[in-house]
Amino acid sequence: MHQPSRRRFLAGAGGGAAALALAACSNAPSSSAPAGSQSGGMKNFGVGTQFKAAEPLTFTIAMLSNPAYPYNANWPFFKYLKQITNVSFNPTVIPFADYNTKIAALVNGGQAPMIIPKVYPGEEDQYVAGGAILPVSDYVHLMPNFQDKVAKWNLAGDLDQRRQSNGKYYLLPSLLQSVWQDYSLATRADILDKLSIPTPGTWTGVQSMMLAMKHAYPHSYPLSDRFNQPTPGGNFLNILSAAYGTAAGWGYQVPSNGAYWDASSSAFVFAGSMPQYKAMVTFVNEMYNQGLIDPESFTQADTIALQKLTSGKSFVISDNAQGVVTDQAALPAGQTMVKLPLPAGPLGKTLAQNASGRINSGGGVMISSKALSSPNFTAMLQFIDWLYYSDAGQLFAKWGVQGVTYTGSVADGTFKLEPDVTWAGLNPAGTKKLNATYGFSNGVFSTYTGSTQLLDSQFPPAELDFQKGMASWGLSPLAPPAPLTTTQQQSATLTGNALMSTVQSQTLQFILGKRPLSQWDQYVSELNSQGASKFVSTYNQAYSTYKQQHG
Amino acid sequence: MGRQRRAGVRRSWRVAARRDWRLYSLAIAPLLFFAVFRYLPMVGNVIAFRQYLPGGPLFGDQWVGFYYFDQLIHDPNFWQVFENTLILGALSLLFGFPAPIILALLLNEVISRGAKRFVQSVSYLPHFLSTVVVAAIMMQGLATNGIVNQALGWAGHAPITFLNDPGWFRSAYVSSEIWQYAGFGTILYLAALTTVDSQLYEAARIDGASRWRQTWHITLPGIRPTMIVVLILNIGTFMAVGFEKILLIYNPLTYPTGDVISTYLYRVGIVSGSFSYAAAIGLFESVIGLTLVFAANTFARRVLGAGLW
Amino acid sequence: MVSEPAVTESSPARVARQLDRSKAAPRGPAGDQVPGRRRGTRRWPPPTRAYQAFRVINAIILSLVAVAVLFPFLNVLAQSFSSERYINAGQVSLWPRGLNVTTYEHVMSDPLFWNNYRNTVFYTVTATVVAMAVTTCYAYVLSKPHLRGRKVLIGIAVFTMFFNGGIIPNYVLVSFLHMRDTVWAIALPNAINVFNLLVMKSFFENMPPELEEAAAVDGMDTYRILWRIVLPLSKAVIATMTLFYAVMFWNSWFAAFLYMDNQGLFSVTVYLRNIVDSVTSVSNGQLAAGTQVQIAANIQAVTVVLVAIPILFIYPFIQRYFVSGVTLGAVKG
Repeated sequence: MHQPSRRRFLAGAGGGAAALALAACSNAPSSSAPAGSQSGGMKNFGVGTQFKAAEPLTFTIAMLSNPAYPYNANWPFFKYLKQITNVSFNPTVIPFADYNTKIAALVNGGQAPMIIPKVYPGEEDQYVAGGAILPVSDYVHLMPNFQDKVAKWNLAGDLDQRRQSNGKYYLLPSLLQSVWQDYSLATRADILDKLSIPTPGTWTGVQSMMLAMKHAYPHSYPLSDRFNQPTPGGNFLNILSAAYGTAAGWGYQVPSNGAYWDASSSAFVFAGSMPQYKAMVTFVNEMYNQGLIDPESFTQADTIALQKLTSGKSFVISDNAQGVVTDQAALPAGQTMVKLPLPAGPLGKTLAQNASGRINSGGGVMISSKALSSPNFTAMLQFIDWLYYSDAGQLFAKWGVQGVTYTGSVADGTFKLEPDVTWAGLNPAGTKKLNATYGFSNGVFSTYTGSTQLLDSQFPPAELDFQKGMASWGLSPLAPPAPLTTTQQQSATLTGNALMSTVQSQTLQFILGKRPLSQWDQYVSELNSQGASKFVSTYNQAYSTYKQQHG
Repeated sequence: MGRQRRAGVRRSWRVAARRDWRLYSLAIAPLLFFAVFRYLPMVGNVIAFRQYLPGGPLFGDQWVGFYYFDQLIHDPNFWQVFENTLILGALSLLFGFPAPIILALLLNEVISRGAKRFVQSVSYLPHFLSTVVVAAIMMQGLATNGIVNQALGWAGHAPITFLNDPGWFRSAYVSSEIWQYAGFGTILYLAALTTVDSQLYEAARIDGASRWRQTWHITLPGIRPTMIVVLILNIGTFMAVGFEKILLIYNPLTYPTGDVISTYLYRVGIVSGSFSYAAAIGLFESVIGLTLVFAANTFARRVLGAGLW
Repeated sequence: MVSEPAVTESSPARVARQLDRSKAAPRGPAGDQVPGRRRGTRRWPPPTRAYQAFRVINAIILSLVAVAVLFPFLNVLAQSFSSERYINAGQVSLWPRGLNVTTYEHVMSDPLFWNNYRNTVFYTVTATVVAMAVTTCYAYVLSKPHLRGRKVLIGIAVFTMFFNGGIIPNYVLVSFLHMRDTVWAIALPNAINVFNLLVMKSFFENMPPELEEAAAVDGMDTYRILWRIVLPLSKAVIATMTLFYAVMFWNSWFAAFLYMDNQGLFSVTVYLRNIVDSVTSVSNGQLAAGTQVQIAANIQAVTVVLVAIPILFIYPFIQRYFVSGVTLGAVKG
């Protein structure tokens, strides 16, 4: 369906040599690097080449400071990076809690650093029309590793989703070889054993598991959930809606704010009024009426959910690989947490490709338009390409330096952290933190990105089993690109966000029985009077326009 | 005639300048401050009438007239949040304004200086806490397993999901506002109380007036000027109900009562970079605030004989 | 002038009465007194039974107030000394469980924490001094009823309480003035708080004009009158306003966050917010949840305690001067 765009990609991505040729000739005027931008770059940079700047370079960068590992100018990461690539940073340090506010101020105030990492897909849209951000798709021919991964892992279709109405994209997203499902539900393994409940594999299985728990502990609410920011029931409704073939929770906004791609009708529909959505809400409401779900489940703070879990008032909670380790530490002796296999729903073992898609899971990199006038533009793109997209760069950013922070190799499966180095449940007794002490595994440079092999290297055995179980899952169809024009974008954002308020609020009302499901049709017409159908048709229009023009 | 008057005006200005030039010179730095840091940035509000593109020209790209205002008043959610803002603002005023006065009067009746100072100092504490911490305390205290519900449990009451129930949201919010600000608000009143003439009390006592009557007829009139100023200022900031706190404690279930203009604006506009829309709502709020404060001041001057200016 | 200060009495009478009062009402060292009722000099019949009952109820009410306010603080304090296990299980109320001081050691050994702490002190002091200077000047000007254009000057100030320019224009302005990464980005844009300005103005308005008039007759000019006569009589309001400003600057985080690009320049409130707010943050986009960090509850508690401590400890001392200042001002003013 999107052959031409894919072809264009493949043309650019046909291995290092082709990319090199393009970079050297710079024959296409729109995509040529500006004259004089070659300073410091490498003449023969390709896949597998170690990037090293010809002269010492310094790039400005937005540096998120994570309270768990606050930015430290003396991190060995920077020292090694300088050794390897001859590049150092001049950072604008930004506290985690308000990162996006500051990025907005920097970009709008004309003070944007050249490199802006930790931008999630969709967040770049607002800056497109203003011209402050580089349309990086014009310059990816300078990035052989990026193109190589896109081609090798067949990500062109995913990347098309990020194209704007001019056909260009402005974000270098993080790229995953395969969809990585980190989040699921977790429960108390000791309770499963005690009540001899089999491990559920489906949502109805989860329901009967919780019914058995409720039967044994009538005063408990088996599910008292967390992760309710910024959307209520963020994880729970996300994985459940995916199982039903619709979008809710964290997955609602991604990629297009409730405009859900319905492959069967080849059109965008409004997620919050789909029959699948109603079926999902009905199912949760049924569990709620059975007393399986805490009334505060989808609105309480994470800490309170954890308190209920550790004090035995609830047994099931949303979780991920790292969370299980932390939760386990909070439980009294003799109680154990186990992450449940992702429950399958009416769609069977099909993963949604929105929130957990291969380019949506981690933050990406935006580049300031001002970088274009820098003499080191090419070198900067090559550097970004190496650090974020080459195997060697990803390995370096994630695990550090062989013999210093780890031993063995990821490629042959002998990888091991040095015994004294600890990270997220690996070597819990270690005294040196891979991130806080060394600056590796830092979200700014390495997030949910890389080959499956690289990702798997970070898992303890239990999580590896979970991931093996995920291998048998299929993927839902990708949404096609439907880029909006600036005016469409601004109006759709306002309508879409207003609709989202209504959907979130009413979803909870239905689930908690504060509004009877018999009023569903009325609710749907309320959505339409708020502009839901017009909102969706904007996307369908954009979809067909884009198809005519580019595909 | 007109020219004559203008000449007269000019002359009296010249007289004023000659007489008070030193006084005017003291106003230069403050006026510079207002011009540069307050009025200059206000020009940015022009984007309420122009389409602003993040990262584009500072004053927007093109005129769109009242487009954003039009969107605003045709958004059914907007009128809901507008009503919520008014109600929450009114409740905060209704309970939040008298609370520090009552507390100050009660403190004033305490004879033991140590006890008085202790309660006084302690009651300022919440003012020093950041909103984030206050919100965390509220979520913890009002949860079904929190301290308030534990107390209700001892009294044999079923737990209440305070922060999940639109019916409880306003009470929870207003109580937290009182908790946070009443103590600090007493500072102004306690200072005013010390200026009330003690001879008046002695005279009243000779006349046999009770404590209650003394409070009513001497103390309250004595601190009335302070009350008026605080009241007018509170009315002026009526619309600006605590954005940050509400953002932290509300959720989609409590939108029907808890969602206010600023939080709605934040969700719908700011997060997605719709600065023009934000500016439009901001102007709307400002005009209402300014109108309210002028009305309150005029009322206070006409009826109570004293105002803010 | 329509806009007379709130209490309108003839000034000579008031001065006379105040002078009289200052003789008649000797103060304790702390200058703190309950109007009309002095310790040890009770010349009036004992209070009625109703009043006795009121005093008991009053004591109960105020105790409840103190408890309601103190409880969360003691809870945070207890958490800061407890181990994470008990906090997560919700078992810490007023007393630490699983005593733990390593978090204190950890936070207090963080050089960044102390660096930011020093910044906060520096910013607070500088910004407060600037703000007091500018606010005092303007409040004094506004307090002169005879001044031509006074209402316009007041209007200029009051108008800004309701209209502002929003984040982006302010950010551009501060950048344009090259004030980013300097203390001026914090001090100058907030030099006048209109509420404080109005409080100060009404204090000056309530000062008897006779002293200033007399000084003027003696040949002092406005500057000297302000410096030699007015300010020495205004210790009360200066103390109050200094406190208000200092608290405002101490607690503020947004300016430091927005205008400082280097974490060596952050204030400790930015540090605090980054720790306390990272879990509850709503500003980090739809997917931030995926990479959210869990900061141990007791690190949060420790940081809250350490940031609040200076104010909490210094407060009773300031308050003493502060209250006596107010009383002093009322007597002499």
